[in-house]
Amino acid sequence: MNPGYLYTIAGLLSFSALGVFHKLADVKGCRPSAINALLYAWSTLFSFLIMMIFQHARPGAPASVISIAIPFGISASIAILALQAGIRHGNISTSWLAINLSSGIPTVASILIYHEAVNARKAVALVLIVLSMVLLWIDRSKQERRRSSAESITDAACYEKEPQ
Amino acid sequence: MKRNAQVWMRLMLIAFVANGLGPFGLKVLTERNLSAYQPQYLFYWYLGGLFFALLALLGSSLRVNRKEVALGAFMGLASFCGQAFTGLALSHNMPGYIAFPLTTGGSLFLVATAGILLFKEKVGPYGIAGLTLGIIALVTLSAA
Repeated sequence: MNPGYLYTIAGLLSFSALGVFHKLADVKGCRPSAINALLYAWSTLFSFLIMMIFQHARPGAPASVISIAIPFGISASIAILALQAGIRHGNISTSWLAINLSSGIPTVASILIYHEAVNARKAVALVLIVLSMVLLWIDRSKQERRRSSAESITDAACYEKEPQ
Repeated sequence: MKRNAQVWMRLMLIAFVANGLGPFGLKVLTERNLSAYQPQYLFYWYLGGLFFALLALLGSSLRVNRKEVALGAFMGLASFCGQAFTGLALSHNMPGYIAFPLTTGGSLFLVATAGILLFKEKVGPYGIAGLTLGIIALVTLSAA
């Protein structure tokens, strides 16, 4: 068996574990800002160790590399914080999809900024991403409406039972 | 805390745009012929993220509990292993059109299944349709 398949499966399980840990952090009542800070603290440490030990590279880099890396890193950190905070108001199953669908953004940015060609597959995928987000929004709104009406029925039942 | 669909949608839109922009830096790096500095780029990328995360943490309390430290470590490790294993798969002649759809589409399926089975989340018919379309979209995009 090609070891590439084993690595792909290991990658798949790692990303899936990350999604499950996001939900677990919410269930355990962890603060989104603390989880985000610790996730980045550990990841910074891992990336530093890998860079120094396995890639034998020094942290020094041209200013242009650092000036590209920092704002895009900040953007990714904003995303993790928003996801972790958002899980409190929704499901991990749909929230995880919303964050993964964002792979359409670099595709759109590459088309707009670097004038990359748009083939039929890319176009179909981008349309499906928008449709998927709309369906998730409808699902979440419907759940909210069902919950609100169930709460108002319960409130009304309690009111009727109250002694006059 | 009361769940709010409006707040969820707003946060998901922020996560969607910000997470999409995050990896675009690698494309900028390649376009400027700076790919040789990829290890340093990743280190500073995480450092930038840490800088913002610490600023956000200052808004609440700097004190963290054991659960947050442990889960943060597991999440950092899972995130890093996901990137590293995908990179290793590609370097072992695994074509990108197989590796990327499997890791993104597969993880979506597994996380959605875990959400429904382990955490008893309720997903309606629109949600299931959205999940299915989303997985198809990501597999199509990764293979495009």
